[in-house]
Amino acid sequence: MMEQLNAIDWYLYGAILLLALCTVLARASYHLFGHRVPLGDGVRRALRYAPAAALTAIIVPILLPWSEPDSMTMVIDQRLFAAIVAIWLFQKTRNVLIMIIGGMVAFWALRWFLGWW
Amino acid sequence: MSSTDNLSIQAERRATRREALIAVRPALIATFTWGLVTGVALVKSGLTETAAVAMTLLVYAGSAQLTSLPLIAAGAPLWLIFAAGLIVNLRFLIFSAALQPYFQSLPWYKRLAYGYFTTDMAFVLFMPRFGEAEIKGTDRQRTFFLTTIVPGWITWQSSSLLGIALGALVPTQWSLDFAAVLALMAITIPLANSRPMFVSMLAAGITAWVGQGLPLQLGLLAAVVVGIVAGIWAESALRKRY
Repeated sequence: MMEQLNAIDWYLYGAILLLALCTVLARASYHLFGHRVPLGDGVRRALRYAPAAALTAIIVPILLPWSEPDSMTMVIDQRLFAAIVAIWLFQKTRNVLIMIIGGMVAFWALRWFLGWW
Repeated sequence: MSSTDNLSIQAERRATRREALIAVRPALIATFTWGLVTGVALVKSGLTETAAVAMTLLVYAGSAQLTSLPLIAAGAPLWLIFAAGLIVNLRFLIFSAALQPYFQSLPWYKRLAYGYFTTDMAFVLFMPRFGEAEIKGTDRQRTFFLTTIVPGWITWQSSSLLGIALGALVPTQWSLDFAAVLALMAITIPLANSRPMFVSMLAAGITAWVGQGLPLQLGLLAAVVVGIVAGIWAESALRKRY
């Protein structure tokens, strides 16, 4: 346990502790402090859209990255096509495991095909 | 308190625990699958095994963990990882507000524990049964809640740790970090369940794509703001039309 923490460790464990704090703040704020800040209808509405917007915003740049910084041109590779296959499987089956396994198989097949091409 | 009273309380608790266990059982299969996938995703997205174990045990929030992975891989600033974690956890703020009356008579550390261990599953099982209860905070209610969160925690943690162990065995060339993206998509797609929600997500997606060149990944925050505004706008625009 005497290992030196390097900068990457500090960053990583800092992120983990902050995420743990997120869990506590989101799940226990009202438990701990009561309804001192009422959750109005407007706030509730905004809160409904925020998580889906954030999740979408994380996924889109992974599937459609720019080819170079500031280029605004898309890189289209196996990730986008595998994602489309995965979405299709999910709509058909509503099964997360089938979606993930099917998406990975599509990813591997397309990578092999594009490499061979 | 007489011993017969005590006995009847014990009997009632046992009956409540049995009811809660029967209610929670089907959901545990889903929890197990999710935990396994998340565990694999953590080690395949660049976390060391030790960090992955620490994250699983401390954070205990699958969607926030999966969201943080691409940000950590890109070296995003800590405040942004914190902000993103908070945003995807916002639904729990609504849960906490709804559950607070059932626990308000307890000391603060118990309230903290009940809050921290709250999951989507526990909330969804609890509210249809006790949401309209006249007296909030009965022994039966808390026993039921506790009996759903404990198996949930055990199932999630054991499947996550199993996933971390399995993930460490798989070679990097398999690109299982993409499985983390697929898992994130499986959380996200079902959220597009209404037209305003779809409009909001479309607007957020476009903003995120255009904004990916912004420093510090500020495109993410811009996308959240645009998504909220677009969703609320679509809600009122659709209401006017019908």
